[in-house]
Amino acid sequence: MRRIPGAASALMLSLVLGLGLIPLRAAGQAVVPDVDELKKSAVKVFLDCGDCDLNYIKTEITFVNYVRDRLEAQVHILISTQSTGGGGVEYTLAFIGQNDFKDMKDVQKYFSSKTDTDDDVRRGLVKALKLGLMSFVGRTPIAGRIAVEYTRPEASGSRRDRWNSWVFSLSGDSYFSGEETYMSRMVDGSFSANRVTPASKLRLGFSIDSYEQTYEIEEATITGKMSSWNANGLYVISLGEHWSAGVSVGAESSLYSNIDFGFGVAPAVEYNFFPYSQSTRRQLRALYTLSLNPVKYREETIFGKLRETLLKQDLSLTLDLREKFGTVSLSVEGSNYFNDMSKYRIDTFSIVNLRLYKGLTVYVIGGKSWYHNSQLSLLGREPTYEEQLLRLRELPMNSNYFTAVGFQFQFGSIFTNVINPRFGSSGGGGLSISIH
Amino acid sequence: MTKPQKLIAFLLATLAYLAVAPAAAQVPPPAPSVPPPSPLPRVFLDWPGGDIEFLRGEIPFVEFVPSLEAAQVRVAVTPGGPPETGTFVLEFTGFKEFQGETNRLSYVPDPGAKPEDVKRGLAGMVKIGLLRYVAKTPVAKDLSIRFLDQAKPTSVNDKWNFWVFSLSASSFLSGETQYKSGSYYGSFSANRVTPELKVRTSVYGDYSKSRFDFGDGTIYESKSYGYGSSGLVVKSLGEHWSAGAFLSLESSTYSNLKLSLNVGPAIEYDVFPYSQSTKRQLRILYRIGFTAARYREETVYFKTSERLLQESLSWAYEIVRPWGNASVQLQGSHFFHDFSKNRLELEAELSFRIWRGMSFEIDGSYTRIRDQIALSAGGASYEDILLRQKQLATGYDYSFSVGLNFSFGSTRSNVVNPRFGNGGRSISISM
Repeated sequence: MRRIPGAASALMLSLVLGLGLIPLRAAGQAVVPDVDELKKSAVKVFLDCGDCDLNYIKTEITFVNYVRDRLEAQVHILISTQSTGGGGVEYTLAFIGQNDFKDMKDVQKYFSSKTDTDDDVRRGLVKALKLGLMSFVGRTPIAGRIAVEYTRPEASGSRRDRWNSWVFSLSGDSYFSGEETYMSRMVDGSFSANRVTPASKLRLGFSIDSYEQTYEIEEATITGKMSSWNANGLYVISLGEHWSAGVSVGAESSLYSNIDFGFGVAPAVEYNFFPYSQSTRRQLRALYTLSLNPVKYREETIFGKLRETLLKQDLSLTLDLREKFGTVSLSVEGSNYFNDMSKYRIDTFSIVNLRLYKGLTVYVIGGKSWYHNSQLSLLGREPTYEEQLLRLRELPMNSNYFTAVGFQFQFGSIFTNVINPRFGSSGGGGLSISIH
Repeated sequence: MTKPQKLIAFLLATLAYLAVAPAAAQVPPPAPSVPPPSPLPRVFLDWPGGDIEFLRGEIPFVEFVPSLEAAQVRVAVTPGGPPETGTFVLEFTGFKEFQGETNRLSYVPDPGAKPEDVKRGLAGMVKIGLLRYVAKTPVAKDLSIRFLDQAKPTSVNDKWNFWVFSLSASSFLSGETQYKSGSYYGSFSANRVTPELKVRTSVYGDYSKSRFDFGDGTIYESKSYGYGSSGLVVKSLGEHWSAGAFLSLESSTYSNLKLSLNVGPAIEYDVFPYSQSTKRQLRILYRIGFTAARYREETVYFKTSERLLQESLSWAYEIVRPWGNASVQLQGSHFFHDFSKNRLELEAELSFRIWRGMSFEIDGSYTRIRDQIALSAGGASYEDILLRQKQLATGYDYSFSVGLNFSFGSTRSNVVNPRFGNGGRSISISM
């Protein structure tokens, strides 16, 4: 070996410095690593995200292996979302190391804004995923084939928020469908003005909708109509990591519920057993509301009233968990009227979606409500046959329920790296549940 | 009488106070969730004899500081492992806002690597280890991460050879005092998807039932069910062509089918390479199908069974871009025994960001239907029509929706305030 003279080595060093931005190369030019061999030992990732564009992520991030079962993975990426004050979404990416990477964990965030398109969001998520994955990829030989590039930003000052956290939104939608003997039409519009800061939350909104169905049966035309509007406001102040207090005001009108005009004002207080700062992963909230509600009915009610003023109390308890093993959301709510304590109502609701064991996913979604003379706005008259079949009016009931139960068991190949778009991607009889 | 009025007055007064309070009572402004544009993350390199100048050049997105006190991250580089391999161990420790964030990486130089290569490889590993911290600072937006190679997605050790089997069952029940409904669904599928070949097979069955009680002793019950199976094989022929075959078996009360078999070959051409499918596709699919059907009830054409040959051509364009996304699909088909038995379907969807804060969505479909050969001659009952339990004779169907959304104000605000809930959870189940 010939010794390199000092001057030459200095030149070489400055060359290297000058090329500081070029991607790092695997050491030893002579040894060209076999990429497909490296890929076999790449990090095994379980991507736990309800509404991500998985195909896009898998085509953009190819230096890891995707698996369909969480227990097989070396890193479980649990993505949970919450809405932001600006109307966008906060994505919290928890990178949880497993198996031989048990000692590693990290949390990254990505914020989308309300006006981002699908492509903006998926690109932003891919970037956050790549950054977070690097701590794991660094432990596998494929790390030598990753280039990190940095472009020095042009100086930009921080912009002051001249809107003072206010966000306004106006939207309108309409939907029409039909065939020769059937037509349906739906129109809705809404306006909202929100101001959300960590210290307080103010939401004001107005929405209106109308729905119409027409059936032609043997020369006759049957038309079903529903319409409603409502206006509401909510103001909440933060009282530390566990307590909040607020008040809501609202006005509404609904054909389905036989309400011509209803007004309500309701102060409320909430306690969260977990700190609010953990809310994207876990919440257990108890909310107590006292509401005063003067109401005017469209038609005389079953209790012979055309107008009345109601005073009601309401207590609800809600548990929301987003864990490695799945999603749990349970709530129970009870309310009663002070005018007549025998008029009460209880609602329960649950979503449980568990990844139990290798390849086995089970879900139970259900709700049941009990009404004890609490349907104060019920029509005094019998609804027509069509109103009943088309479910245009609220009907008397003691209780109602719904449940959805299902399971999925998968076995076979654990890898889900491949994207094959040929002949379309749909079909296959699989089942997917996404809970946001 | 006066009591509720007083209460209302009190509540209104409280409300009025609260409504003006947010602006006035906002004592110190809440801690901004986005920190002011901070300088680069500060790193203390603990590597006696290490070439810090070299690292400065290689890693321009952090600031190397001389003392641990000023640092947010400490990187300790020590030799480790068997000495002959020249392995280095890199310990990353976070301080201040990165408290508790640690990682341990190692760098093993290739045998016979030159010292310069070792240096650069080591710098690369330091860089990778620092990314988790940098990702949490505004510098993150100026970084990009690239994989230098193309690795085949099938480069894995898979003892199942890419076969995935799935068994699933689900049920949905709902009811109230005068109304009950239930539906059940089960399926089994076996799929194998590789870039060269796609195989999908499944069997399924469904059943649903609803019951109306009109309160006067009249009860109306309706039932519908169906089952079937399907298979698809697609072979890849380069970046633009694919060829394959479909097979399906179906029985359905809604469609008046006792049993219907549909089988045929198909060929597809994508104007854009398939590898760009998540960004754009323009696919043209041609298919010939043979159908052998037996009907539940005699059809409007007085048939109880028939064998038919059909061809279809479809054209689909999909694009996802920063401004939004769009798709258009046009599909036409006809039967060979009678060319007037045909169908033409057009579907389009556009979601478009007109301007910052203003977005527009439109989607619609129109189908011209001349091929309802399976319609039952017996027609449908009044209730079947209202509950949409039977397919009805029609020459067309359409749907159209349009939406416009305009937002302004602090739409970039990233504050999350979960108090009093953020609106309930939404669930979607797709099968």
